[in-house]
Formats: sequence, C-alpha cells, structure tokens
Amino acid sequence: MNDFRLIMRNLFGSRSRFALTLVGITLGITALVVMISLGTGLRTQIDKQASDLGANLVVTPKGWCAYEQVKVLSGNQLPDAIPPEELVKIEAVEGIETLPYLTVGSAIENEPVPVTGILMADTVEMKRWSVEKGDVPTDGTPTILAGSSIAESFDLAPGDPVTLRGVEFTVAGLIAETGTRDDAVLFIPLDVAHEVYETDGRVSFVAIKVDDVSKVDLAAQRISDAANVAVVSDKQLLASVLSVVDSVGTTLRIIAAVAILTAAFGIVNTMLMATFERRRDIGILKSIGSSNARIFRLFLFEAGAYGFIGGVVGLIVGVIASRLITPYIASNEFTAFVGSATVDAIPPFSQMGLILLGSVVVAAVAGVYPAMRAARLTPVEAISYE
Amino acid sequence: MNSIMKVQGVHKTYNGRSVPTTALRGVNLEIEAGSFTCLVGPSGHGKSTLLHLLGGLDRPCEGSIEAFGQRLEHMSDAELARFRAHKVGFVFQFFNLLKGLTVAENVEVAMMFAGLPAKEQSKRAAELLESVGLGDKMKARANELSGGQMQRVAIARALANDPDVLLLDEPTGNLDTVSEGEVLGILDELHRQGRTIVMVTHGAEVAARAQRIVEVRDGRVSV
Ligand SMILES: Nc1ncnc2c1ncn2[C@@H]1O[C@H](COP(=O)(O)OP(=O)(O)OP(=O)(O)O)[C@@H](O)[C@H]1O
Ligand SMILES: [Mg+2]
Repeated sequence: MNDFRLIMRNLFGSRSRFALTLVGITLGITALVVMISLGTGLRTQIDKQASDLGANLVVTPKGWCAYEQVKVLSGNQLPDAIPPEELVKIEAVEGIETLPYLTVGSAIENEPVPVTGILMADTVEMKRWSVEKGDVPTDGTPTILAGSSIAESFDLAPGDPVTLRGVEFTVAGLIAETGTRDDAVLFIPLDVAHEVYETDGRVSFVAIKVDDVSKVDLAAQRISDAANVAVVSDKQLLASVLSVVDSVGTTLRIIAAVAILTAAFGIVNTMLMATFERRRDIGILKSIGSSNARIFRLFLFEAGAYGFIGGVVGLIVGVIASRLITPYIASNEFTAFVGSATVDAIPPFSQMGLILLGSVVVAAVAGVYPAMRAARLTPVEAISYE
Repeated sequence: MNSIMKVQGVHKTYNGRSVPTTALRGVNLEIEAGSFTCLVGPSGHGKSTLLHLLGGLDRPCEGSIEAFGQRLEHMSDAELARFRAHKVGFVFQFFNLLKGLTVAENVEVAMMFAGLPAKEQSKRAAELLESVGLGDKMKARANELSGGQMQRVAIARALANDPDVLLLDEPTGNLDTVSEGEVLGILDELHRQGRTIVMVTHGAEVAARAQRIVEVRDGRVSV
C-alpha cells in the first residue's frame, strides 16, 4: 500500500459521485480548450490574411468600425462606398500603388459565392499569386480567375462558362492554393464588375502599397489630405481586427472561467461530503499512525486528482470538439475566413501543459478547505460508536 | 518492576457541543512490560478515554503520561502519530476496518504509516493474517467478513508494526462466544510471547484471564 493507491481507492470508492464531479471539471477544461483553439485559429488566420493583403495601407470609406474592417480581410461583401472621383484623387498621390477592390457576390447553382472585382495584372503581381491552370484574365473581358477551393467545389476548369448576375463569363485561369480566403473567391476584372453590378465606378476599399516603406505615415497623411476617405495602416487594421477577436475571446474566456469556477465548487462540495462520510476512516487512519498533515495531504491530492483526470479528459475532448465545431464556426459570416485553418489551431503542447497544471491547481485549491476539515477531525469520536 | 507506561494525575474533560463532560479526574496507573491488564468498570466511567490517552490518540487536559521514556503530552501531532504507528496497536469494539480496502490492504496501510516498503508490507501482512487464521481471506473486501473475522484482521493490523503494547477496547463486545474464544485465544498466545496487553472489557470471565484487573470508576482508578 502506498499513498497513491490509497488515494485512488478513495477516489473510485464512490463511482457515481466521482463521475459527476469529474463531468464538471471536464466541461470547464473542454470549454477552455475550444475557446483557445478557436481564438488561436482566428488570430493566425487574421495574421495570414493581413500579410496576404500585401498592402501597407487600406483606404476605406469614413466611419467604418472594426467589424467592417474585419471584412476587408475576410473578403465578404462590402458596400461600394468609395466613389470614382475620390479614387482618382487617391491615385494621383505620389509614391504609392493603388489596388481598388469591389467585393460583391453572386450565386452558382443557387449557392452564394463571393465575387471580387480587381485590377487583374496588378493584383496578381502584388499578391504573388501563381496561376497554375489557364491564364490571367484580361481587363475588359467577362472572364474569371478562380480561387482553388471554389474551383474545386464547382469543378471549374479554364474555358468553362459561368453565369454571374445573368452575364455569361468564362473561366480564364485558376490560382494555386494560397491557404487564405482568396481560395474561395471568384475574381473578375474590375471594369467588368462595374458594368455588371452597375456600381458607377464605386469600389469597396483600396489597398495601397507604399513605395518607400519608411514613409507609410507620410503617404497615409497625403491620401487623407487629398481625398475624403479614411486611411488605416495594415498594423492598425490588424489591431482593430484583433480587438474584435479579443472581445469575442474575452466573452468566451469568461464562460470558461465560470465553468471552471463552478467545477471547483463541485469539488469543494464533493470533498466536504467525502470528509463527512469518511469521518470513521479518517479516525481509523489516525489511530493506526497517520499524522494530521498526512490526512491533509491525502485529501488535497485526492482533490488534485480530480483536476488532473478532468484536465486530461477535458484536453482530449476539447481538441476533438474544436475540430468538430470548426465547420459550424466557419459558416458564420464573421468567422467564415477562419475556414480550414482552425484544424491545426489546437493549443500548442506547452499551453496544454499549462492548462493541465491550472486544472490541477484549481482542484487542489478547492480541496484545501475540505482537507483542513479532515485533518482537524478528532479521531476518538469517529471510531467510538457504531 | 519494569513499567513501560506511567500515568500520573491525569484529568480529561471533553468540551462537548452542549456541556463539558469530565471523563477522568486524577488517574494514576502503571503498566509493566509483558503484563496483561484488564480495565473494567461501569459504562461511561472513563475506560475508553483512558485507553485512548495511553495510545496517544488524544491528549490529557492535566497530568502526565510517560510511555517508553517519552512524555506524550509534550509531543507534537506528528510525533504522536509516529508514536501510534510504531509503539502501539489499537483494536476497537466496532472493528474499524477500512471498508473499501481488502483484508491485506487494511494491514498494509498500518505499515505504510510506519514507513515500511510496499514489498515487505505484503509479505508481513500475509504472515500476520496467516497467524490469525485468515490466510485465505487476504483478497476479500473487509466488509465481506464476519464479525469474528473482522476482529482478527484488526488484531493482525494492530500487530503490523510489532508494537510494544496492544490496546484493546472491548474487542469481544460484538462477538458470539465462538469468535470471542478465538480472539481471546490469540491474545493469550500473544501474552505468552511477551507482548504487553491492555484490554477494556465488561465480561468478568474475560477479565479473569488477565494478570491484573484495574477498575475505572467515576473517572478514577482503583486496583
Ligand atoms: N468524544 C467525546 N465527547 C464528549 N464526551 C465524551 C466523548 N467521549 C467520551 N465522552 C464522555 O466521557 C465519559 C467517559 O466515556 P468513556 O467512553 O471513556 O466511557 P467507558 O468507560 O468507555 O464507557 P463504555 O463502557 O460504555 O464504553 C462519558 O460520560 C462519555 O459520555
Ligand atoms: Mg468504552
């Protein structure tokens, strides 16, 4: 016999109570893992989107909030809010390259698909896309450059006809997989998009590449002086996007914290009941030579074991749940661009270790008071009566 | 005269939930090495209390208890625990086995508190259980045994760390005559081997086996 075995015997002595207590802490840890997975997934993906934008500055209509800025990265449909006269003024600013985007949408076989109007040659160059099949479309022709995943889901190949908004387009080329939201988008020449979508030359936003990276601030100043628009840097954009993610993350973390706190009280309750039910056993252990400190330790470790077992199970369930939940998260408009990236957005091992440690610590702390009660019990009373 | 335990002027008052109860009021007693002492007396007059104090399971309010040259009332909790683990073995009326453990594990736990390695624990537990006639019950759950068997396990457990004194509180109080005979037979044998025994009992026949009968009445001792 050793302490470990004795603790295990006590732990599994009452199986239903053990299971019920474990459910609490397991749920808490599962929630935490899912939250962190999704948070990490969002963050990595946003980072990637931002860097793939390939721009130093983004020009948006005035008064956009962070939520709308997220959409710049997500490729979702945005209002065509920058009029052509402003666009001309922006293009006139020196030392920058401008890439206007018109994000619209259409449907293929009754399924909504994102469509984006771009300056073909310039955008392909700036984004460093490699066109693996077919050619880059020529501006002015009703042709399509399709992202890899959307091409796959609709079985598109160069030469295929696609009808967008009642106009027949032809697939000109396919972009090699980028791992970003671009994979799910149909790109068409901007001038064609203006015509088909009757936008009078307005665009959704403009990506700006500053020739001299050290003069980004100056360029931003010049653009906002020249035109009636808002200018954000890629860093600001990232920051505001992350702030949105963080506010979502904070909510999720509070939920996880509440779940874990509830679980902790479950452990306090279970251990207090165990202290009460095992009064006699505690008395016996003392009568055969256990010190108070040893009793304290036995109970504390027993509580900690709930944290360890619940933590391990919670980690496993959490990782599985993260994978299962991802598709549903991806179908939400706001988080859509997380897409497949969440699959590898499982917390790193170091973080999992920390979660497990945290779980054990929380459980052990929950066990302190019951363990103190157990250690202080006077043995004489407990063992003297039937 | 070689006394291993010496009780002098011991008082014990329990601060119960409602009123304090004085269980012992000035007890003097000496226990000699290798002796077989029976504590008798009316119910509620302090026999169990005295036995618990002798074994360091509780502390006196006043007076001194010297055991094997050490003063129990001066010991810390941890020292008292070590004293209970190594020097004394308790047996109670209500058996007090750990019900969730097997028979062998019940004996081993006592050795665990004395710091014996696991391997030696199981070897010695087997020997002890064999000696009380329970060699075939080692793997049984403690709560699957009869009262007489439980009490024999309790004796094996009390002997686990080869204690200098065995303290028994009405060990046959809950047993039929056959089981009582078995238990008393084991105690006689232990006494013959030189073990010091202090036993609380109500039965006159049981007490007749002892070398020495001590009456506890009204919290005091008369020999
Ligand atoms: N833990 C306790 N708390 C309060 N009072 C107690 C406690 N234990 C014993 N007493 C009281 O102390 C007195 C002596 O009790 P003790 O158990 O020593 O008697 P006893 O001689 O062993 O009786 P019995 O033969 O019935 O076992 C009794 O009045 C009892 O009510
Ligand atoms: Mg008694």
